[in-house]
Amino acid sequence: MFEGGRDVVDQIIARLRRPVRIDPSLDARVMERIATLPTPRRAGAVTAAWRWLTEPRHVALSPLSGLAVATGLVALALLLPALARRPAPTIHELQFVLVAPHATAVSLIGDFNDWDPARTPMRLASAGGAVWTAVVPLSPGRYRYAFLVNGARWLADPTAPAALDNDYGGPSSVVTVAGS
Amino acid sequence: MGIDNVGTSDAELVRRVLGGDTGAYAALVARYRDRLGRYAVHMLGNREDAEEALQDAFVRGYRSLARCDDPERFGAWLYGILVNRCRTTGARAARRGQVFVRDEAALNGAPLPSSVERTELDDVVRRALARLAPEYREAFLLKHMDDLEYEEMARLTGAGVSALKMRVKRAREQLQAILREVERV
Repeated sequence: MFEGGRDVVDQIIARLRRPVRIDPSLDARVMERIATLPTPRRAGAVTAAWRWLTEPRHVALSPLSGLAVATGLVALALLLPALARRPAPTIHELQFVLVAPHATAVSLIGDFNDWDPARTPMRLASAGGAVWTAVVPLSPGRYRYAFLVNGARWLADPTAPAALDNDYGGPSSVVTVAGS
Repeated sequence: MGIDNVGTSDAELVRRVLGGDTGAYAALVARYRDRLGRYAVHMLGNREDAEEALQDAFVRGYRSLARCDDPERFGAWLYGILVNRCRTTGARAARRGQVFVRDEAALNGAPLPSSVERTELDDVVRRALARLAPEYREAFLLKHMDDLEYEEMARLTGAGVSALKMRVKRAREQLQAILREVERV
């Protein structure tokens, strides 16, 4: 079965390296699936900064730097009781509402959920109805948002101010949450 | 894929997709379908599972495209996604006990002396690979089928270079033992 005088594993490798043809209809199946997805977008500055902060990495420290970090941690531990006495920022629960009688699925996307349609699906207020709602806890600040209908149609909130600094392509709205 | 996409760099196609031209992704799929498909077919041992893993990898690649930091190396980035999808698909297939079924259409290479011999040899190769532990098979294919450097393999698999060298060595030893056994039968 194998050629004599030649390592059998090398003969296997030669066979494995032969081209493999995959059914080209796979392309159409992939494109059909991605047609239902929102266009991928480069992360905004806030998201990119958050990713930079949360991504694990190896950090090399000299003994002197290690000592400085340790000193900083001790100082922080001493300051913590004072910081703990400061009031925590107020969290407000905001209800977002969209009337979409023909929709089968609606997601709320915005700065508060990284514009990820999977994170805040909206629910029908009543079975068979047309009013979609979602409640989101938000700390004071300014947020841009939009609705994604049936996984493809991007809608701004018709009842809210439009966002002019939109860097996500589709139209979006703005909500400002005031401090307490 | 339009003819104008032939020769267009990966980086340019990625830039177009991120700019809203979803159709440009079809060119990337066509470009990498067979190249990545070969790994999936040999890793999973059957076409159905391989195509499922490949399709999932392309869809996940599209959804995460904004996180592809070096679009010029889109293929290598997508390869990492496929390696993970094959692990998931392989584990599921192992649970249902259907790993490595016969697949005559999977290979499309140079003709051998006779189709009978080709079928028999392909079957032996497939069965021998199937007897390797998945992490050995994965390392062996990345190293010897795709000729990757160990550093690149480490990036794709998340395993250390020493561990990968050990896996490739063990895979070779085990394959040799399996094939000797087959030849004696």
